[in-house]
Amino acid sequence: MIRLESVSKVYKGEVTALRDASLNIDKGEFVFLVGASGSGKSTFIRLLNREETPTTGKIWVAGKDVGGLSSSKVPFLRRNIGCVFQDFKLLPSKTVAENVAFSLEVIGRPRNVIRSQVPAILELVGLGDKADRFPNELSGGEQQRVSVARAFVNRPLILLADEPTGNLDPATSVGIMRLLERINKTGTTVVMATHDRSIVDTMRRRVIELEHGDIIRDQSRGVYN
Amino acid sequence: MAMNLDYAVRETWTNLRRNVVISIASVLCVTVSLSLVGVALMARQGVERATQRWQDGVEFIVFVAPDASEEQIDSVGASLESNPLVERVTFFDQEQAYQEFSEMFADSPDMVETVTPDILPPSFRVVPTSTDLASVEELVQQYESQPGVIQVARSTEAIVAIKDVSDFLTGWALGVALVLLVVAVLIILTTIQLAIFTRRREIEVMRLVGASKAFIRVPFMAEGLVQGLVGALLAIAALRIFQPVFENSLPSSDQLVLFSEFTFSGVDMLWTYLLLGGVGAGIGTAAAAIAVTWFLDA
Repeated sequence: MIRLESVSKVYKGEVTALRDASLNIDKGEFVFLVGASGSGKSTFIRLLNREETPTTGKIWVAGKDVGGLSSSKVPFLRRNIGCVFQDFKLLPSKTVAENVAFSLEVIGRPRNVIRSQVPAILELVGLGDKADRFPNELSGGEQQRVSVARAFVNRPLILLADEPTGNLDPATSVGIMRLLERINKTGTTVVMATHDRSIVDTMRRRVIELEHGDIIRDQSRGVYN
Repeated sequence: MAMNLDYAVRETWTNLRRNVVISIASVLCVTVSLSLVGVALMARQGVERATQRWQDGVEFIVFVAPDASEEQIDSVGASLESNPLVERVTFFDQEQAYQEFSEMFADSPDMVETVTPDILPPSFRVVPTSTDLASVEELVQQYESQPGVIQVARSTEAIVAIKDVSDFLTGWALGVALVLLVVAVLIILTTIQLAIFTRRREIEVMRLVGASKAFIRVPFMAEGLVQGLVGALLAIAALRIFQPVFENSLPSSDQLVLFSEFTFSGVDMLWTYLLLGGVGAGIGTAAAAIAVTWFLDA
C-alpha cells in the first residue's frame, strides 16, 4: 500500500528531514511513527499525501508513484487518503454535518450520496446527535471525531494522522484511538505520528522510530522506546 | 469532473457579499476605464462616418449634376487628370454615390428609401499635389465654373478640427483608459487575493480532501468575471445615457459638408458594447486567474 525506496527530503539544501528511508507498509496495517519533535515524522506524513515531494528516492502510495505524479493528478491521490491533524482543521462557520459534507461536496459527490453518508459516518464516530452544532460548541475530543469522520467519510484506502491526540487529555485520546482502530479494522491502512507513549505502549502495533531524519527502529508489535 | 454549478454560484455570491466594499471599488474602476474606452471608440466611429469621404488626402470633391451629359463629365475628368496640381482623381458614379449614401444613413432607412441612384450627383474625389490653402482654393474656383459642375466641396476647417479632436480622444483617452484598466486589474487581483485569504482554511481543507484545482479556482474566477462584467455593463449603460449629450456637443451636420452627419450607427455601437463587455469579462477573469494561480502554486 505504501512503499518508500531510498527516500530523502532536504529542505532548502540544508535541513535533512528524512535520510535514505526505505520501507513497506501493507494494506490494513496500523503503524505508529514516533520520535522527538523535528525527527521527520511530519515530513514523512507530508510526503505520503504529496504535500511535499522527495528530494531523492521513490514513493508509491496506493499503487501510484507519488513523486512523479503531475499536479493535476494529486487531487485523485488525496481522495484515497484521509488526513487527521492535531489542530482538527475544521471550518468554524460550518456545522458538524456541513464540515463533513463539505469534503464530499468539493470532490463532486452527488447530493443524494452526501445526504445518506454524512449521518451514517457521524453515527459511526458517535456524534449522531451533534450534527447541527458548530465546532466551537464541541469539546476537543468531539472536534477530533468530526475531523476523523471527515477523513473517513469517503472510505479512503489510507488514513494519515499527524499527532491526532496531541491536544487531547488521556481519556479522550483513548476514545479517538478506539475510533482509529475501528477504522483500521475495515481494512484501512493507518499511519499515525505521535508523541503519546501510553497509547503506543498499550496498542502494541508496528512502530517506526525516527531520529534526525533516520529510521532507527522498525518493530512490529513495538513499544514507544 | 462533475462541477456542481449550484456550488459555484453559491460560493461566488458569498465571496462577493463578504468583500462588498472592495468589490464595488473593482467594479467602478472597470466602469470608469471602459467608459473612457467607449467614448474614445464612439468618437472615432463618429468622426470616421462624418469624414468618410475625406479620407486618404482628399481635399475637395467636384460634384457633377445628376443630369450632366457624358461629354461634360468626361471633360471635367480629363481636365482634372491632366492638371499638374492634381495628384490623384477618383470618380464616384451614381451607383457608388448611392452606396455611400446608404452607408451614411444606415440608421435612417426612411431617408435611404426616398433616394434613388439617379438623383444623386456623381463626383470626382481629388487629391491635390499640395494641400497649401491658396493652391487648393485656386483649383476649387477653377472647377466650380466648369459646365456640368453643381458644387465643389472643400475639406473644411471643421473637418480638420474634428479630426484633431478625434485623434486627441483616441490617443489620450485610450492611453488614460489603458492605465485605468491596469489599475482595475490590480484592484480585482487584490480583491480576489483578499477573498482567497478569507477562505484559506476552506481551501486548505479542499486541497487535503482532494478537490481539483479547477474546482477551487472556479468560484474565484467567477467572482472576477462578475466584477469585470458588471463594470462593463455599467459602462455601457453610462454610454447609452450620455450618447445624446455627446452627439449634441459635437459639430452639427451643417458645419460639415453635404450628407455628412455626426451620428453613431446601431451596428457600430453594438460592436462597441460587445467589445467593452468582452474586455470587462476578460480582465476580471484573467486577474482572478492570476490571483488563484499565485496562491495555489505558492
